[in-house]
Amino acid sequence: MRAAWTIAVKDLKQRLRDRSAIIVGIIAPLVLAAIFSFVFNPIEDFEFSATYVVVDQDGGPAARLFVDQVLGAMAADDTITVDELDTVEAARVLVDVEVDPFAEDVQSADAAFILPAGFSATVVSADPATIEVLAGRGSQTAAGVAVAVAEQFASQLQTARVAAATAEFYGLEGDRAEIGLRALGVPNLATVADAEATSKILNGTTFYAAGLAIFFLFFTVQFGVNGMLEERHAGTLPRLLAAPIPKFAIVAGKAITAAIMGVVSMSVLVVATSLMFGAEWGNPLGVLLLIFGGIFAAIGIMGIVGAFAKTAEQAQVYSSIIAVVLGFMGGTFFPVGQSGGLLAQLRFVTPHAWFMQGLGDLAGGNVADVFPAVFALVVFGVVCGTLAALGIRRGLAA
Amino acid sequence: MKSLAIATTNLRRFIRDRGNIFFVFIFPMLLILVFGTSFGGDFNARLAVIVESEGELARDLVTGLEGLDTVNVIAIETEAAAVRGVERGELEAAVIIPANYDSNITAGIPVDLQYLARSGQEGNSLRSNLESVVTQQAVILRAARFAESEGLATFAAALVTAGETAANIGLVTVEVTAVGEAFSLDLLGQFDSSAQTQLILFVFLTSLAGSAALIQTRRLGVAKRMIATPTSVGNVLLGEGLGRYLVALVQGLFIMLGTWLIFGVDWGDPILATVILLIFALVGSGAAMLMGAVFSNDEQAGGMGVLFGLGFAALGGCMVPLQVFELISPGLYKVAHITPHAWALEAFDSIVLNNGTFADIAVFLAILLGYALVLYTLAIWRLRVVLTR
Repeated sequence: MRAAWTIAVKDLKQRLRDRSAIIVGIIAPLVLAAIFSFVFNPIEDFEFSATYVVVDQDGGPAARLFVDQVLGAMAADDTITVDELDTVEAARVLVDVEVDPFAEDVQSADAAFILPAGFSATVVSADPATIEVLAGRGSQTAAGVAVAVAEQFASQLQTARVAAATAEFYGLEGDRAEIGLRALGVPNLATVADAEATSKILNGTTFYAAGLAIFFLFFTVQFGVNGMLEERHAGTLPRLLAAPIPKFAIVAGKAITAAIMGVVSMSVLVVATSLMFGAEWGNPLGVLLLIFGGIFAAIGIMGIVGAFAKTAEQAQVYSSIIAVVLGFMGGTFFPVGQSGGLLAQLRFVTPHAWFMQGLGDLAGGNVADVFPAVFALVVFGVVCGTLAALGIRRGLAA
Repeated sequence: MKSLAIATTNLRRFIRDRGNIFFVFIFPMLLILVFGTSFGGDFNARLAVIVESEGELARDLVTGLEGLDTVNVIAIETEAAAVRGVERGELEAAVIIPANYDSNITAGIPVDLQYLARSGQEGNSLRSNLESVVTQQAVILRAARFAESEGLATFAAALVTAGETAANIGLVTVEVTAVGEAFSLDLLGQFDSSAQTQLILFVFLTSLAGSAALIQTRRLGVAKRMIATPTSVGNVLLGEGLGRYLVALVQGLFIMLGTWLIFGVDWGDPILATVILLIFALVGSGAAMLMGAVFSNDEQAGGMGVLFGLGFAALGGCMVPLQVFELISPGLYKVAHITPHAWALEAFDSIVLNNGTFADIAVFLAILLGYALVLYTLAIWRLRVVLTR
């Protein structure tokens, strides 16, 4: 064990002197996390807002009900504004305006409601009636909400008409419109009962900090793991083998180097991203467990490459391919799981996905929620580490 | 002639490396495939529906939801799976249609539809859609309940009457007219946007990675030996620069042709597209030469190459389209244009979306040439110092 430690200390000193490990382990993930947060957070934080206009050519009670009650209630939400205009032409012009973010005071609308003349009168008859909506092609969500609101109001009116006609059938006398309105006092039989879901989604800053940290961890660990091939290349491996130390100590030394580099890089990144960018990694114990699991898995996987590659250069090529592909599939650059599709299904073959999932579950839960992810990471480490050990034994025997 | 020999040697060395083959030719195509299939085309909010009832009304409700243009209805078996999906962001919202839905409603007993969403707008706008469909379905039921509450008939009898009455009453409908122009990104083909952005990202990134080869040439003393032969420093630099340039160009042409053939990506006018690539590759190789001059260790240059390659790509609109920057944050949009990436993407936008001519993209090309000029000037100045020291 002493020998393993000596080898690890020598390797660590060497790595520290050559700044590449610091660049890959700390600087690159930190600067990229800053850039990604800067670029992507405004998009994530972007608030929905909608501007609607309404043209009431009718002025009757049904039309006013819509303008004053329905749209009035919507406008109470401060992300939605509703303006009343006089002509359809004016409304169409506003919806037609191409949204130019640089021209602050240009007026535009996402959709326009038009209540045609005679609307209220038609509603109390049995004739078909129509509400028109001009939906802006450029603003799908806002226009979609406008259509849904109009549809709902149309259904309400239909309810009032059918109710009034049914009541009339049974001989109820009185003003049709008044009876219809009274009928709307009957609530929907099916009511939408809201429940708010806990969010197990990392916020943008935390997502990029964590994603880049685990992504670069594989490269950092690879520096340590590849040490073996470098010794071979430099001709120092046979000398180590001839030394009065067990073969196991050499391998252990390299693994210790990799583990220490991984722990240092991850710890610095967790602290730095929390302090500098306000990343919220979550419960420290849970984070620690995930980091250890992640490092274990990374050493195992990179160990396989190191064990079976013939030269350090070859190992570097293969390990970067593996680290990039796994990192990308595992959703370290963008939330693969949320985007759906084939990749979302495949992602759990990577340790990265488990790490990210664990952090997400931790954000919306407690320490116990990271256990499945940590278990998966440990399994990666054990399986790959065993394969790597077998490969290395074969290599050292030859 | 000598510089050409140096350049082709560079290119040959590059192509022999198996790692390069993967990162230069295979990986970009995989990314374009994945991004195109995941993000290309329309994105609709995902609403999970858990149907516990086998009744007709429950089925009607689902059909109504499926008929909405902006909602992607996903049938899910268990509540637990839906909760997990919403919590993890794999679904925008979930609604449970309970087992007693039909029996209760036809009996006039109110039913709750449990609706689960994370806080935020997507949940709210899906909710308005759900409310709208529920209200639509309830027309006859509410009319019957009204008759019952007025003491006119029993609910069951009123239900029959209301149904018959409704058949004789015209509908109140909503007539939707689409106005204005679609968001420019929606006009692109499924793979167009990701092909453009990945082309720019990778040509630059690969160029930077190529700086490692230049550093090796320096460290191994190859550069000095070349200079010791009757070859001028200028010729050596030209050869090394041309080598980087050829690598960038070969990758760019491969992505353009490959995505055009495989995914049918529209690159606009092929000649103009090639001109943009020719000039952007010049910027990439210039940046590579500068990095090769500044760094003295190829592993350091590798790490910094990834940092600059991905960092500029993120800032320059290769990960989130410039059109989105423009819509959301004018500040970000301006910052993006510090990078050459943004100008190259503007040029592609012009020729692909607006049938731009050479005159339309001349400004963008001139700016890109400016970047190349500055980068090469700095690189050559540094390299002359480093190589002749």
